[in-house]
Amino acid sequence: MDLNTVKYLADLSKLEYSDEKLAKTADEMTSIMELMDTIKDIDITYDAHKDNHNVFLDGIREDTVMPSMPTEKVLSNAVNSKNCFVVPKVVE
Amino acid sequence: MDISKMTVAALREALDKKELSAKEAAQSYFDRIEKYDGELDCYITVTKDKAFEQAEKAQKRIDAGEAAPLTGIPMAIKDNICTEGVKTTCSSNILENFIPPYNATAMEKLDSQDIVMLGKVSMDEFAMGGSTQTSAFKKTKNPYDKACVPGGSSGGSAAAVSADFCAAALGSDTGGSIRQPAAFCGVTGIKPTYGRVSRYGLVAFASSLDQIGPVAKNSLDCALILNAICGNDHHDRTTALDAVPDFTANIDKGVKGLKIALPKEFFAEGIDDDVKSAVMKAAKDYEAMGAELVECSMPSLKYAIPCYYILACAEAASNLSRYDGIKYGHRTASADSYEELIIKSRSEGFGDEVKRRILLGNYCLSSGYYDAYYRKALALRQLIRKEYNDIFDECDVILTPTTPSVAYRPDEKVDDPVKMYQADICTVTVNIAGLPAASTTCGYNTNGMPIGMSVVGRSFDEATVLQVTNAFEKGFEPVKPKL
Repeated sequence: MDLNTVKYLADLSKLEYSDEKLAKTADEMTSIMELMDTIKDIDITYDAHKDNHNVFLDGIREDTVMPSMPTEKVLSNAVNSKNCFVVPKVVE
Repeated sequence: MDISKMTVAALREALDKKELSAKEAAQSYFDRIEKYDGELDCYITVTKDKAFEQAEKAQKRIDAGEAAPLTGIPMAIKDNICTEGVKTTCSSNILENFIPPYNATAMEKLDSQDIVMLGKVSMDEFAMGGSTQTSAFKKTKNPYDKACVPGGSSGGSAAAVSADFCAAALGSDTGGSIRQPAAFCGVTGIKPTYGRVSRYGLVAFASSLDQIGPVAKNSLDCALILNAICGNDHHDRTTALDAVPDFTANIDKGVKGLKIALPKEFFAEGIDDDVKSAVMKAAKDYEAMGAELVECSMPSLKYAIPCYYILACAEAASNLSRYDGIKYGHRTASADSYEELIIKSRSEGFGDEVKRRILLGNYCLSSGYYDAYYRKALALRQLIRKEYNDIFDECDVILTPTTPSVAYRPDEKVDDPVKMYQADICTVTVNIAGLPAASTTCGYNTNGMPIGMSVVGRSFDEATVLQVTNAFEKGFEPVKPKL
């Protein structure tokens, strides 16, 4: 996997690497993709109609209003919380 | 009476007969943790004060004659299972100070029985690994040989049970993360059927594969814990509506008349000879107990590793996109923009293996590669399920090694991601197919390291799985690690 592809993936993944780490990661990803590429040896087609039997749709509860988590609990792990999530200024 | 060596079932009897108190039981484990955990590094957080409060509450329930099966039982909890008010780090810097404002459903169910939680145990970061060496905090050692890994990702859970630092533990299993460390540490663990145990409050890695399950000294203890944690949950739509059976009811029924399948690919090249011979000896023992051994084949096994890693990493890339440094988790010290805040927080917070898996997942999901990798892996999942179904048309359970080798030294594999991924070959297909499987010890190699075997069952047939592992354990004398 070349450096540009790894850089593109890192951007997609919202991650940043030093140049040295990027090169090491590219080597590792090349070896990993060689292993992943073995699935190309088998000719097989996915049938979407066979799936989703792990989602149980019987007995779904009524759509009723229930208490949700209180704001102070929701914010309890947020940094700079002032009864809301605080982020750097987005609009000048 | 050596309390810390007792099984859950034996502790229950002793607590009910007032031969010991819940506080004494908890204290005996804390004594061992204080004495030995500095050498093994199982616990990330020890919750002594909370444990004694829980022990007091449990004792009142016992004294009132209202004890549930797990009341007063000292347990350890893997650090990716949310515990209200107690740090849940996932062994990651990004969650180093995360204190969940709610309990996972499995934890809620254990609390409803008044267990005593001793603390939170280490794991591979975000459950991504098979060695517990990707933990940002505690790189747990194997109690049988401290130079070796305990396995992973539930390495802290398995090592803590093995070293008698708790009576039993909860782990989680996405590709073998309960069974493999159970095998390496000489204990028993079961991954339940997908949908058996609620994933609500289990920090998500790969949502179509993750399941919470018990790690314990034997199959009966696993059954007692499973009885407590299974069941439908309105917080998790993938939990089954089926009634949960009593997993202890037929556990002593034996294996007479059962058909045990031995897929030849699990005994082929790549599996160490000492592992193969120990599992085959166990198969012969089952035959002597009245089971019928059936040779069979699972040709898709050679594609299992890429299938698993593509699916798991694709889901992980999506699941871990929630860590942005804003709502909870590590937030970078300074950032000039929203974008920079997210990138810096994630880059500082995640470890190398987690980052690799996010990159791999996003690669397999990205435009131009989706069909070749992700959709192909979905097709392989269907093939693997079909091959399992074909075997279960003829047989009751499947017997395989749990791992290709016994526990190894970190320098043998841990720095090579490809070698680490390939070591998951014996366990991942069970998660891909959503089946239940338990690992229990079936022997030791010449260096005294434990060898695990796995029993895989039909969907929602954990009862037969535990019946089969229990039958072997009845005639097997385990060797405890020497600390």
